Amino acid sequence: MIVETRGLEKRYGPHLALAGVDLAVPRGAVYGLVGPNGAGKTTLLAVLAGLRVPSAGEVRVAPPRGRVALLPDTPQFEPWLTGREVVALARRLVAPGVPVAREERVLADAELSGAADRRVGGYSRGMLQRLGLAATVVAEPELLLLDEPASALDPAGRREVLDLIAGLRGKATVVLSSHILSDVQEVCDTVGILREGRLLFQGPLHDLLVGRAVPAYLLRLRPPVGHVADALRAKDWVVGVDVLDEQRLRVSVRSLAAAEWLLPEALASCDARVVSMNPQAADLEDVFLELTS
Amino acid sequence: MTLWRLEWLRLVRTRRLVAILGAYLFFGLTGPLTARYLDRILGGIGTEGVRVQLPAPTPADGIAQFTGNASQIGLLVVVLVAASALAFDARREMAVFLRTRVRGAAAVILPAYLVSAAAAVSALTLGTLAAWYETAVLLGGLPVARLLVGLACGALFLAFAVAVTALAAAITRGVAATAGAALAALLALAVADGLTGVPWLPTRLAGAMETLVRGEPATGLPAGAALTAALTAGALAAAVAVSDRREL
Repeated sequence: MIVETRGLEKRYGPHLALAGVDLAVPRGAVYGLVGPNGAGKTTLLAVLAGLRVPSAGEVRVAPPRGRVALLPDTPQFEPWLTGREVVALARRLVAPGVPVAREERVLADAELSGAADRRVGGYSRGMLQRLGLAATVVAEPELLLLDEPASALDPAGRREVLDLIAGLRGKATVVLSSHILSDVQEVCDTVGILREGRLLFQGPLHDLLVGRAVPAYLLRLRPPVGHVADALRAKDWVVGVDVLDEQRLRVSVRSLAAAEWLLPEALASCDARVVSMNPQAADLEDVFLELTS
Repeated sequence: MTLWRLEWLRLVRTRRLVAILGAYLFFGLTGPLTARYLDRILGGIGTEGVRVQLPAPTPADGIAQFTGNASQIGLLVVVLVAASALAFDARREMAVFLRTRVRGAAAVILPAYLVSAAAAVSALTLGTLAAWYETAVLLGGLPVARLLVGLACGALFLAFAVAVTALAAAITRGVAATAGAALAALLALAVADGLTGVPWLPTRLAGAMETLVRGEPATGLPAGAALTAALTAGALAAAVAVSDRREL
């Protein structure tokens, strides 16, 4: 493990922000720390980065401090510096032995070569986030701690940042916090679910998803849908039916295979007018809601 | 790109260097001018029929006008400029960038302190040179050795003021809070000076140039300089220690 904590606690006055967290981050993993706002994600990353002192418990971060980099959720830099100067300062402070050419490389990877000599005061949010990532990776850290790296970006900016993070796989261990579960599911191989300072689950993403969520179909029908829901609830291969709105039903089934055989016939027998019918695969959001509700 | 260059760029690109140099240069040029023509200025704005009579201005009056303005408005500019560099924890995201890349707060505080203090001392020197030249032209010559000793005392006081600002930045957060706390501390010191009349308080160094060029005895100045140097070092050490314990 590159990071391990045992019984980690962080207290702010009467508020317990972290309550006995046993974190274990495998070396080389892209670890997603998910949880609602106020779950303790930022506090946990700050403790790992050495910016906050734990109130109790143990923290073991294998790389030396200079090989650990933290990117805050909304990175900010002196507005009168250029992007190139920010990256140069980051390299010089942490790894002066790394060749200067590395600065150009990370700026290019972040698609900032064209804006590198502009002052960062004129950068967009997405550009600042990418500059933050460039300044974080320029010193070739072993461990990157990314706090909500894409949460405040528009879809295009989010895509760019997620691609940059995906590109780090195999080069460093990444711990990223997020409440955007689809992002975590896309780039992470290991997840930890944090709620109210407690780690509810930790392990490979696959282990979390498989066997937890009930397979289901999402049906869109012409109204009314009430009699269809009642008819489906009577079937022994149906686990449950949720009426989502006046046109949509979520039908939980024992297996998707059974539904493929039996659902069309069941819908036809109760004169349902089907607009669309889609299998709903288990995703992190379902599991997250199941664990945190 | 180093933290030293970062601080230099902060001064240059934000025009703070122009502000600090400009303030002292302005007072250096206008101080002796005011002293020379004060009677005419007062006569011009006085009530009709009332005649203001002042003694003939001396060269020391030119320097007194300069130090009077510089030790108030000049000091205010110095503290504001220093606070903007030393309150680096004011915005967490910017602080994270620096603090996760250095071994301790000293690595950030010392360049910010030394560059700010150097700018303040340069500004005082520039203002003094301007005041010296103008006094020589308008009012007559000054005792050079005493003027230079007074300049050194003023420079030491500014170094102390910037160190107090560094300590204020470590205790509070935010540029305004830092500047306010530092100015409050310096004001309290000036009040203590006024109430007690102790000759070796750091505030005496701010007016030492005038005292010296008037030919008055420099009672307490060596002790005051020694105490100020010690307090400066102490304030910086305390700033580093407090800053190292601060959580972000």
